[in-house]
Amino acid sequence: MDKSCTLLVHYDKGTPAVAKEIKEALEGNDVEAKVDAMKKAVMLLLNGETIPQLFITIIRYVLPSEDHTIQKLLLLYLELIEKTDSRGKVLPEMILICQNLRNNLQHPNEYIRGVTLRFLCRLKETEIVEPLTPSVLQNLEHRHPFVRRNAILAVMSIYKLPNGDQLFVDAPEMIEKALSTEQDPSAKRNAFLMLFTCAEERAVNYLLSNVDKVSDWNESLQMVVLELIRSVCKTKPAEKGKYIKIIISLLSATSSAVIYECAGTLVSLSSAPTAIRAAANTYCQLLLSQSDNNVKLILLDRLSELKSLHRDIMVELIIDVLRALSSPNLDIRKKTLDIALDLITHHNINEVVQMLKKEVVKTQSGELEKNGEYRQMLIQAIHACAVKFPEVASTVVHLLMDFLGDSNVASALDVVAFVREIIETNPKLRVSIITRLLDTFYQIRAGKVCPCALWIIGEYCLSLSEVESGVATIKQCLGELPFYSVSEESEPTETSNKIQPTSSAMVSSRKPVILADGTYATQSAASETTFSTPTVVQGSVTSGNLRTLLLTGDFFLGAVVACTLTKLVLRLEEVQPSKTEVNKTVTQALLIMVSMLQLGQSPASPHPIDNDSYERIVLCIKLLCHRNAEMKKIWLESCRQSFVKMISEKQLTEMAELKAKTQTTNAQPDDLIDFFHLKSRKGMSQLELEDQVQDDLKRATGEFTKDENDGNKLNRILQLTGFSDPVYAEAYVTVHHYDIALEVTVINRTKETLQNMCLELATMGDLKLVERPQNYSLAPETSMQIKANIKVSSTETGVIFGNIVYETSNVMERNVVVLNDIHIDIMDYISPAVCSEAAFRTMWAEFEWENKVAVNTTIQNEREFLDHIIKSTNMKCLTAPSAIEGECGFLAANLYAKSVFGEDALVNVSIEKQTDGALSGYIRIRSKTQGIALSLGDKITLKQKGSS
Amino acid sequence: MVVLAASIVGKSGKVLVSRQYVDMSRIRIEGLLAAFPKLVGMGKQHTYIETENVRYVYQPIEVLFLLLVTTKQSNILEDLDTLRMLSKLVPEYSMSLDEEGINRAAFELIFAFDEVISLGHKESVTVAQVKQYCEMESHEEKLHKLVMQSKINDTKDVMKRKANEIDKSKIEKTRGDKGGLSSMSSLSSGFNDMSISHGRGSSFGSGSMLGMMSDVEPISTKAKDRSRSSVTAPPKSSGMKLGKSGKNQLMESLKAEGEHIIEDVKPTSQTRAAVAPPTDPFTLTVEEKLNVALRRDGGISSFDMQGTLSLQILNQDDGFVQVQIETGGNPEILFKTHPNINRELFNSESILGLKRPDQPFPTGQGGDGVGLLRWRMQRADESMVPLTINCWPSVSGNETYVSIEYEASSMFDLTNVIISVPLPALRDAPMVKQCDGDWRYDSRSSVLEWSILLIDNSNRSGSMEFVVPPVDSSVFFPISVQFAATSTYSGLKVTGMIPLRGGGGATPRFVQRTQLIAQDYQVV
Repeated sequence: MDKSCTLLVHYDKGTPAVAKEIKEALEGNDVEAKVDAMKKAVMLLLNGETIPQLFITIIRYVLPSEDHTIQKLLLLYLELIEKTDSRGKVLPEMILICQNLRNNLQHPNEYIRGVTLRFLCRLKETEIVEPLTPSVLQNLEHRHPFVRRNAILAVMSIYKLPNGDQLFVDAPEMIEKALSTEQDPSAKRNAFLMLFTCAEERAVNYLLSNVDKVSDWNESLQMVVLELIRSVCKTKPAEKGKYIKIIISLLSATSSAVIYECAGTLVSLSSAPTAIRAAANTYCQLLLSQSDNNVKLILLDRLSELKSLHRDIMVELIIDVLRALSSPNLDIRKKTLDIALDLITHHNINEVVQMLKKEVVKTQSGELEKNGEYRQMLIQAIHACAVKFPEVASTVVHLLMDFLGDSNVASALDVVAFVREIIETNPKLRVSIITRLLDTFYQIRAGKVCPCALWIIGEYCLSLSEVESGVATIKQCLGELPFYSVSEESEPTETSNKIQPTSSAMVSSRKPVILADGTYATQSAASETTFSTPTVVQGSVTSGNLRTLLLTGDFFLGAVVACTLTKLVLRLEEVQPSKTEVNKTVTQALLIMVSMLQLGQSPASPHPIDNDSYERIVLCIKLLCHRNAEMKKIWLESCRQSFVKMISEKQLTEMAELKAKTQTTNAQPDDLIDFFHLKSRKGMSQLELEDQVQDDLKRATGEFTKDENDGNKLNRILQLTGFSDPVYAEAYVTVHHYDIALEVTVINRTKETLQNMCLELATMGDLKLVERPQNYSLAPETSMQIKANIKVSSTETGVIFGNIVYETSNVMERNVVVLNDIHIDIMDYISPAVCSEAAFRTMWAEFEWENKVAVNTTIQNEREFLDHIIKSTNMKCLTAPSAIEGECGFLAANLYAKSVFGEDALVNVSIEKQTDGALSGYIRIRSKTQGIALSLGDKITLKQKGSS
Repeated sequence: MVVLAASIVGKSGKVLVSRQYVDMSRIRIEGLLAAFPKLVGMGKQHTYIETENVRYVYQPIEVLFLLLVTTKQSNILEDLDTLRMLSKLVPEYSMSLDEEGINRAAFELIFAFDEVISLGHKESVTVAQVKQYCEMESHEEKLHKLVMQSKINDTKDVMKRKANEIDKSKIEKTRGDKGGLSSMSSLSSGFNDMSISHGRGSSFGSGSMLGMMSDVEPISTKAKDRSRSSVTAPPKSSGMKLGKSGKNQLMESLKAEGEHIIEDVKPTSQTRAAVAPPTDPFTLTVEEKLNVALRRDGGISSFDMQGTLSLQILNQDDGFVQVQIETGGNPEILFKTHPNINRELFNSESILGLKRPDQPFPTGQGGDGVGLLRWRMQRADESMVPLTINCWPSVSGNETYVSIEYEASSMFDLTNVIISVPLPALRDAPMVKQCDGDWRYDSRSSVLEWSILLIDNSNRSGSMEFVVPPVDSSVFFPISVQFAATSTYSGLKVTGMIPLRGGGGATPRFVQRTQLIAQDYQVV
């Protein structure tokens, strides 16, 4: 592993500190100047400028200083300085430091002693530590707890060094003794920690002999106790019984941190229902008692882990989990609902729905911001419940229908979609829903909710009375006909002239948008369907809601009204025996349709009716005038059937997803089965039993290296120089998350020794070299490995170039071999990801950088081209496969990926098949930063030609 | 439960300060910190981020982020505590909460962070403690320096005296006496020692300072000649070999030369101050004397506290007064007034006045003044005793280990505590293994004196351990104890003087002394 780094300090390169100045200041008597100079020396050291002559100056002039700050800075300096030579031997100068450290360990100032002991914790060189051990031991009995605390830690770190146990043969014994008399909580904790890491049995003994007192111990000590228990039980599961009692007693500790830890320990130790229940209960209690959002979220994470492992137990606690909904934070509420939804069973569904209903009602009363979003979440949750357990639908649907008129469009949309699904799946509820819907229809204000509600009315009004009241409701909502009067018409000529240009300007200035089906459009067919964030709808209640919407120019709605009326009339024909009544209704419907057309063509509307709506309304008029059986069938039955098909398809995909989910968790037929008991007895491999915590730490510090395929490794070798060059070099590039490791093999092909050979690298793009290059000498015809680390800070194509410089003995000039460039591929940094369509579209609207690449390819098939792009850019296609099925000569799809730095990359592909068979169109890339858009564009340009 | 690093980064991702608590490579930590600003979402109501491998817990401070990098298993509650603590510290050390301010205070911040997190574990400290730790003001170091200074002065004195001797011996030499040789040799050795003491100055242990302190006791008046027979305590920490021997050598050789070493800093005796002639018109003295015998195995054998209130009036003219007092209301204490005092007045209003108001209180400088009130308390349980001593001799092999501990009640702050333990007649001083406070051995009376200057809340209990040759454990009793305190059992206070004549209403000035003295305090 690389050298560890203990501190980072920002260093401004703008003010270069000259070694000479530092030296002078260090030699002087001015304490302030000395402190400054020491700080500079440390910063230089951090930046890789080891000024070796400074060391002696520091030894001579800084070491004897009495000033405390200087002494502390000196310790930092010593911490950073290279203490060994290239072969790992301790430098002889270091013995000078030893003397100083020893004096510090016996300093009358307890704090000097303390910080010196702390410094010893970070020392790795046994040779330096060795002469200091007696002084360290003395400090174990120092009067001041500050010194004892650090002395114990120092003993622990030294003991852990290689051969450290020989330096302190009886360290555990001594610490155990100290532990028994120690009063200071912190020192006591450290002592116990030392025993825990160095002599586990002693720690266990101490713990077991003090079982009764554990609950009175200090919080920090209790934490270590829990850690100990976890680790002991991992290695000796048989002794678990002894500790469970301790954990249970600690569950009632005063510190919430301890309680949290207890619950975690309990889960890791036992899968007995009681233990899990206790842990889950604890988490739930903490969830209620802790006010910090971070804590709540992490607790919810823990609960959802528990849920996936022990669902049956968590089911009992669902109501407790749901109490977390009282937090105003949306993230917390969302997580809570997610957990709860997975825990619903036949037994608790009623309770849960009760609770959710209560929450919904609450959102109505309080005027908190984000109430709307929360309500939307709740409605979705209730929807999900009702889908799973249709019997509850009846209890909630009426409550939810109150929200059809919600000012939050999104939640109203959810409600209406819910109602639509329920009315189909629960035929029993149909009558009551329709009645209710007709009653509340006038409250619906949103232009996007109305069409759906109208569709329901059109489809499910079956009986005579329903149909009649349906027509009446629509009529009522449209208000008095015609939509505008002549008196209104006389003046608008001017106003409309004013309005016209502004609205057209608005349309033309609108940014290109991505439609729901993935097509890329500069102007949408119905301007109301622009996908904006939920808007609040305003409108007076006095005039009918449909009328208001129509007058603002929503002609799509007009078309829907027309269709609904047509359907109602056709149905009326079936149920109404009296012919005159039917004809009466037909004429009314025709009047409405004609009025709408009139409005659409009059200057009173903000913009003229679009062709699509116009055609539709005209179609309805034609149909009403010439009614025939075939048409009737299509209108009254086929529509319904396609909806039924859609719902069943949706259920099918859900089922498939569920299946896929359950399948992944199952073991493969030929997987190895681990018998835990056999394993531990055999003592097969300690590695496999190794502590989860340790793994966690290793992963965090980057020590975890995955074994990679050797074949894979060979694929990525780059030749850097030619075979006939005096120096042959090739590099193996490993791309980690945030860094690139270059492993360069250098071979001396000459018969001479290469001296001062140096691999000089430079970078372009967002790359940074971490270390300065070092000089080597290379014997004739030998090879060596040089490692270089390069830091990457954003997703961008980067180039590393450089050369190898060396000297030979007979020619006293430097030779240079230029290396091939190494291109760092952006594809290493992005990975396919998924986001919702809405999120995609908002990001598309927000992001500033767009790169437009014209399609130029030899591929003839649209699908094939899309697959090729997906493969070569390593992205995920968001557009559903069903949407791009079939041969129509057009294709539009959205691709999405995320970089390791969390940046989003959006791609839209829109292609069209020309008459000559070639594909044309554009690929647009959008991202927040320029780097991604550019490099992804380059990549696509390069690759789009096709496999050829 | 492991904090990997505590860092401060700018909004743009510039790493200003970072302190790592576990081993990790530079590229790793830089990578983690560089990734952080990109992960921070806007408008989130929580301040932690989990990635595949680590968790960031952060807190925005104006234009900066203070963040902890922890493992994913880490205890969030504790980490938040730590973060809160650090966020309190940052403004303490950084003048301005921007990049420049942090840069300037980078090292101070690192030092402060080190106090809060040790090896990745949280320390339970407060802001005040961290500040104290970082300031590194050590009382012991100051004392050490003082002692060093006085040592140097002493040695200079010795040098002067030596110089005089040389002069004298020169004169003698001129008289043709041969005896000068020996004095020359002793002289040279004296100089050697001195030079050692200068050269190894820094190696005097703190124990030597304690040794000095023991001479500051108020009883030094009675023992002018004792210093020769008594052995000062050797340094408690055994220090570096050279330093220790150097110091002993110095002391030893100085003693061998027959020098009387006065290491005393001027003793400021309290008793003398009390005796000093009063200058105020009225002096009221509340004094309680304790006669207590404690049993060695716990419990009280006898307890007797006697208190007096006496009044001393300087001028004859001022004699017409009454004294308003206030008692602590301890029901165990019975007050008795002087026969001449008006008892009813005292019982009803707690005013001490003469039965015949036309007579003045006797006046005069001598003595302790006139006793007005006496009280005593004879019943007390163990919790009422100001100081309990627990002495455990135990014989093992051919040694007797004696460990003594004291425990002081929180009612009193005791000063000048001396615990005298009788020992069997020994030639050498006993081997003291451990001692809170300091000790001296008086070989003439075979008494080990353990003295503690002040017992207050910081050291309500303490212990000493020493080893002597095997003896019967009864030898170590009775242990007698001396101490003084400024608060009393009765809590009696003089709240005012009421002049009876020439009243302008102005309350006359008066001085009040209160003390509790252990007269005969023994463990039998």
